[in-house]
Amino acid sequence: MVGKKTGWWATLMAAVFVMSLSITLAEDVIRIGVLGVMSGPAASWGLVNRYCAEAAAEMINEKGGFEIGGKKYKIEIISIDDRNDPKVCITGAERLIHEHGVRYIIGPNIDPTSMAIVPTIEQGGAISIPYAFSKQLYSLPAKNSILGMIASYQAGPVIYKYLKDTKGIKSIAFVARNDSESLNQRDEGVLAARRLDLGIVAQTDSYEVGTTDFFPVMASVVQKNPDLLVISGAAPADTPLLIRAARELGFQGIISTETAQDAKVISEFAGDLANGFISVGGASTPEIRSAYMEEFIKRYEKVAGEWNDEAGTKVYALEIILNTIKEAGPAAINDVTLFMKAMDTFSMPNPYLKDNRPLHYVGKSDFGQKRQISVPMVVTEYRDGDFETLFVGSVAD
Amino acid sequence: MTRNRKMMIAVAAVLFYVVGVPWLCAGRNYYLGVVTTASVLAVICAGVWLIFYIGRINIGQGAFALAGGYAAAIAVSKWGLSFWIAMPFAGLASMAIGILIGLPLLRLKGVYFSMITLSLTETARLAAQSLKSITNGPNGILNIPLPRDLSIFGITVIPDFATVDKHLALFYLGAVLLVVTYAALYRIVNSRLGWLFRSLQQNEDLASSFGVNVPMLRVIAFAICTFLAGVGGAFFVAMQQSIYPATFAVQDSTYFMLYCFIGGLSFVFGPLIGTFILYMGFEVLQGFKEYQPLLYALLMIGVMLWLPNGLLSLRPPKFLSAKMPSRPASGGDV
Amino acid sequence: MTFMSGHGGSMFARRFHAEGENYICFHVLISRKQFFFGGREKIGMGQVLINGMYSGVQYSLIALGLTLIFSLMNVMNFAHGQLYVLGGFVTYYVYGVLGLPFPAALLGAAATLAVVGVLFDVLLFRRVLARSARDESTMLLACGSALLLDSLFIIFFGEKQRGVPPVVGGVLRIGEGIFLPYGRVLIVVLSVVLIVAFILFMAHTRWGRGLRAMAQDRDAARLMGVNVARYSMLGWMIASVLAGLAGAMLVSVSGVNSGIGTWISIKAFIMVMIGGAGAIPGAIIGGLVLGMLESLGAQYMSGSQYLAIFVALIVFLAIRPRGLLGRQ
Repeated sequence: MVGKKTGWWATLMAAVFVMSLSITLAEDVIRIGVLGVMSGPAASWGLVNRYCAEAAAEMINEKGGFEIGGKKYKIEIISIDDRNDPKVCITGAERLIHEHGVRYIIGPNIDPTSMAIVPTIEQGGAISIPYAFSKQLYSLPAKNSILGMIASYQAGPVIYKYLKDTKGIKSIAFVARNDSESLNQRDEGVLAARRLDLGIVAQTDSYEVGTTDFFPVMASVVQKNPDLLVISGAAPADTPLLIRAARELGFQGIISTETAQDAKVISEFAGDLANGFISVGGASTPEIRSAYMEEFIKRYEKVAGEWNDEAGTKVYALEIILNTIKEAGPAAINDVTLFMKAMDTFSMPNPYLKDNRPLHYVGKSDFGQKRQISVPMVVTEYRDGDFETLFVGSVAD
Repeated sequence: MTRNRKMMIAVAAVLFYVVGVPWLCAGRNYYLGVVTTASVLAVICAGVWLIFYIGRINIGQGAFALAGGYAAAIAVSKWGLSFWIAMPFAGLASMAIGILIGLPLLRLKGVYFSMITLSLTETARLAAQSLKSITNGPNGILNIPLPRDLSIFGITVIPDFATVDKHLALFYLGAVLLVVTYAALYRIVNSRLGWLFRSLQQNEDLASSFGVNVPMLRVIAFAICTFLAGVGGAFFVAMQQSIYPATFAVQDSTYFMLYCFIGGLSFVFGPLIGTFILYMGFEVLQGFKEYQPLLYALLMIGVMLWLPNGLLSLRPPKFLSAKMPSRPASGGDV
Repeated sequence: MTFMSGHGGSMFARRFHAEGENYICFHVLISRKQFFFGGREKIGMGQVLINGMYSGVQYSLIALGLTLIFSLMNVMNFAHGQLYVLGGFVTYYVYGVLGLPFPAALLGAAATLAVVGVLFDVLLFRRVLARSARDESTMLLACGSALLLDSLFIIFFGEKQRGVPPVVGGVLRIGEGIFLPYGRVLIVVLSVVLIVAFILFMAHTRWGRGLRAMAQDRDAARLMGVNVARYSMLGWMIASVLAGLAGAMLVSVSGVNSGIGTWISIKAFIMVMIGGAGAIPGAIIGGLVLGMLESLGAQYMSGSQYLAIFVALIVFLAIRPRGLLGRQ
């Protein structure tokens, strides 16, 4: 039934497989995992996480490491591609936890993968910092995931309210990509708009992943004449196309999104047509960023080849993990329960912003427990090739 | 090789797999997890191979795995059924959908069939997203409990997964699925049914003229194929404890097809070897970071250039070959 | 029939003002914080049909190369979308970054893709087809090449979306509520010219006739003295150039990114299924039909248009297994 050949293959595979992993856990190294999609159509999401972590780690290591309990630790980033596939993601999480001794994982990027590894990280005693918005990830009984950025359902209401108050918008339309993430973000947006008594003129329009021509979907939305057009869960790749299509079809209202975008991508394709476009940015706008952030941007450029404004929202994970461990004590390097205890009281000055506002854990009102990093909500407006800060808000505790 | 000798090798291999592998991987959950995942992927892949065997290419197996996954998730979460009933139910549900879709679509020949199956996975994802009352739409079905114990006449046959080593329990579940699937597949291929399937691959018109009920056979093969996908989908739902419309995607479907090619289309154990090589290959190459997908692609292309008929065609032992004709006369029917 | 105008929209209003006579524009220059909302232009059915045409012509161009390779070689080229992406990136660098004229970028893309097409044939497909027991084995090769190109794109071009501004700026207004950006009109015209040129080439040149003979019956063509190996190479070259030119032109309308290739291929397969595999007119009709369906679907079935298209496709193929014009 199974012959020598098969046996030979099995042996060879096993040998190569074992050789591929070298387990040398040095004493003074903290290993941080980056797990996310780094190949295929959505590669940019995971790659930005990886570049951020690598750039931040390089900066720390050059200063001799990160000090915890009087001892300096080098930071090692181990990144794993999960192809946005829950099966591969579980395998990746197990590899990080059981083979590399990783306790803190940055990623994954979408709800299906983030949710799939919940049993794995809980059993393996690890913490993940997903960039996915599902509330179940951060609400009990789940305990081991921390939201690393501003969720769309947190930014949306703030932006709509701002536009209602300052620009008098009365009607709103939504357009979403036809996948779980985007549709959920749209549904949350619709709820928020309803609470603000905005007239919702379009909420079912959607486009497929991989769409290249946005005229059809935009024609359907633009003809409903909303004052505000919200692109829910916009991928940075689609955003300039959507903006240009809307403007070329004569849309005159405001366009906004709740996710992070990249100014260069927008300026290349949409140019001045995108002026006035509102999105949620990171710590990268010149008005607010600190010298430390400037240094980080330079380092990121070295690691990734070019700066990506998306990274501005993803700089926080590594820094806050390490500082929380520091507060919880060296034992927290391998014991996440100590880390979780420290989360309740932890606070540090935000090193990336000029005003050094405190960086701590929030989420009580949204998730019932502190399972979110208090990333500042930087609402930006695109103008002539760059993002300008409109205002900096924060998430409710 | 005599029948006895074959049996002995088979028993030895199975023994190594169910005793040796867990022993070697003791305390190494990651290794065990990789073998488990590859095992069940190989089960799903076996179905795709059977469709190759009747001369069609199924690039939509992910759709049926998704259907099976949802069937199991709904049975366990919403109806409160035991996983041990839900898993066969998932297979049957997926099979029912497979027959329903297969009846019209299996009439499509060659490249048309593969192209339409290519869009099935996306259709399934969109359907799962739209049928909110059944599937909970884009929110997915979450917090699905682990398989509980199974008792027959008061004797616990399978323990509650939550009370034992979950990795080991899932491994054995995967191992049982794998062994049963491939034993059955081997049996089918070496039976009269297998002979009939081969006749379809060679020439459907000729087979038909000999009184073979061609449409019926095609549907039978497709039913087996989609049943395996459903069972496999149910397994992954148990492992992930959650399901989303994107849990199985187009890339899964294409990979199932590629696993068959790599292993070799004319060998029963082709999909098994192909799945293990490619899935483990992906893991082995993880260390290469951005060059990983590049090397992975080169691995695929390299194998194809070196052994266009699959890895097992490397001087295949005679008994492994399922007696396929060398090259179809016309070659026109893709 | 009025325009709302604010800071963001003022430029537009000005641009339209110069062109249209049959609309009234309230052009109010106000501070950034204020916006004025008036009644706005309605987009009509005409726009929906024109959008369908826009997409349809682009799609036809994409599907042509795919169907050519299929009819000649019996290869389902999963890497077709990646060839499109490569064409897009060449244009991005030549036209967008280096700032050379657009035609130069098109030539550059065509030349690059011609080379890649020949390499595909000589290094990969020819070798495998000669030794493989089943023609389908080339699918693995195609998928492998797609993956290879995808990862090379990520390494060399990065993960970001790349785009260039429209080749010609401005928007043409016809009648009420119809918007025709000049950039798009230009691309559609160029696409049509290319499609027509390809059809003429296939119908009236010696090479075209040779390719058609080969597509009809490879063995018969060989007996009639067609150099099958050379024509295969030519076929790969032309198909790749078509894919690359599609990408090169559309980069000004749709942009390009490293991950879009797979989706382009899948869409191209749908078009080929609608029109019928292996038939050149089938690819064109399939592209137009899909473009029109998308546009009408977005208008009348917003949110579930693609599910509807897929289901309709399955039903349609169940009734008409060879698409509209598929060859036997």
